[in-house]
Amino acid sequence: MGYVAVTGGKEAIEASLQHLSYERVKHGKWIDVETIKATMRGFLDQVMSESSLYSENLAALAMKQSEGNVEEAVFLLRAHRSTLPRLYYSTVTDPRDMFVHRRISASFKDIPGGQILGTSHDYLHRLLDFSLVDETEEEVLQKKADFEEVEVPEESSIPLEKLPKVMDYLRAEGLINEFPVNDEEPDDVTKLSLTFPSSRSERLQILTRGQTGGVVSLGYAGLRGYGSSHPNVGEVRVGLQPIHVQLDGDDEEYYIGSIKLTEVESFIPANVSENGKEVLEFDIGYGACFGQNETKAIAMSILDHALENPENTPIHDEEFVLLHVDTIESTGFISHLKLPHYVTFQSKLEQMRKIKKESEARK
Amino acid sequence: MNRALRTKLLIEIGHKEALVMANEIVERYEVQEIQPPRQGLTMIKLRESAKNSLFYIGEVLITETKVKVGNSFGTGIVMEENENLSRALAIIDAAYKENLPETVAWLQLLKDLEQKLQYEMEKVKCSIERTKVHFDTMKI
Repeated sequence: MGYVAVTGGKEAIEASLQHLSYERVKHGKWIDVETIKATMRGFLDQVMSESSLYSENLAALAMKQSEGNVEEAVFLLRAHRSTLPRLYYSTVTDPRDMFVHRRISASFKDIPGGQILGTSHDYLHRLLDFSLVDETEEEVLQKKADFEEVEVPEESSIPLEKLPKVMDYLRAEGLINEFPVNDEEPDDVTKLSLTFPSSRSERLQILTRGQTGGVVSLGYAGLRGYGSSHPNVGEVRVGLQPIHVQLDGDDEEYYIGSIKLTEVESFIPANVSENGKEVLEFDIGYGACFGQNETKAIAMSILDHALENPENTPIHDEEFVLLHVDTIESTGFISHLKLPHYVTFQSKLEQMRKIKKESEARK
Repeated sequence: MNRALRTKLLIEIGHKEALVMANEIVERYEVQEIQPPRQGLTMIKLRESAKNSLFYIGEVLITETKVKVGNSFGTGIVMEENENLSRALAIIDAAYKENLPETVAWLQLLKDLEQKLQYEMEKVKCSIERTKVHFDTMKI
């Protein structure tokens, strides 16, 4: 059977797009980008992380345009990103320099600087707050003022801009392997297609920009028996990470701003051979992503460790994990199933009819 | 004061001051725009702590401008879309490279900004400290 080129549907598509535009405005209401930026923190963080593009303004615009559809917003931002020139690479950014707004450990109660809860939904009852239905601007401003008037200590006592790492505890005891500083230039999956076996830098890049739901689901599967990386969360830190660049021919670094970042270090028991004896040590599983996305970063740390230690289960299989967690790749492929497959389906249909006819003839 | 701190102060807390400083230079010297403000990306290279290696965590949107003042080139880079601040930072950068006399007077202004930034950061730190857990032993 040959392919037959057909045309048609132009007017229908135009009308469909008009319907789409109408859906966004049909109630006569609108939301400006500034309001989205000010009130949709969680959405912006997720979209910036999955699109691998940090810009609250563009993420807010993408939310408005996509009517709150995360998949579509990420698609818009990835597409926009591909139109912009990459002008610089940052100097090495180390989360030890983060201005920490939240830092907790599930492994040690007493840690230098203490457990700092910061801002989190973790301590809520998760009951709908119906008072928000008719919230007024006046009430919002009053709540803001109330918070800003709360008495705080006169002087801070915790160095939040240089907070020690929890894992330094275990390193000091020799319970975690110390790795020498590796300054090898990372691979970049946005420049060169992934091949297997992958490098560590490729794995981390794909996981950090992975679809939140995909990364979390696979991390969970790893805990439920499809993997053997069972972590204790050593440290979750969220805060503002300063970014610098080095300009050609200049010695001095240039500060360009700061980004919100989540970083997770998970402790995972591992048997290692030392002087011919098997001893128990801790490996570190690493997770980090744009914005405050703690569940994703924890799941990433599980997958990072699993992929560093290949085994015969799906979560330890780099092809299985890395080829399926990307938002654009997975939603794009699933979504393409909606496109016309008339010829391939007709071909299958004809085969089935033929087989059915032959089997009926044999009866 | 080094460039990293200077740019940090102007970006974090001194937008208005940066525009005034740049304007001083524009009024007194010829400023040639080599690269008008344009949007682009900076790829962030992150140090991961498990194996101490590097990887790319993603890109950040920036606005970049390049100018020439006298014989010196200056660069202005700021996150997000902000043409005015980017241009002002480029002019200030060029002024420092050209050792213009105005930069001497700017030192006090920058020191004031540094104090202001420290004060603002201290306020944030004090507020965050309220969320520190104080464990008490339970009586059973």
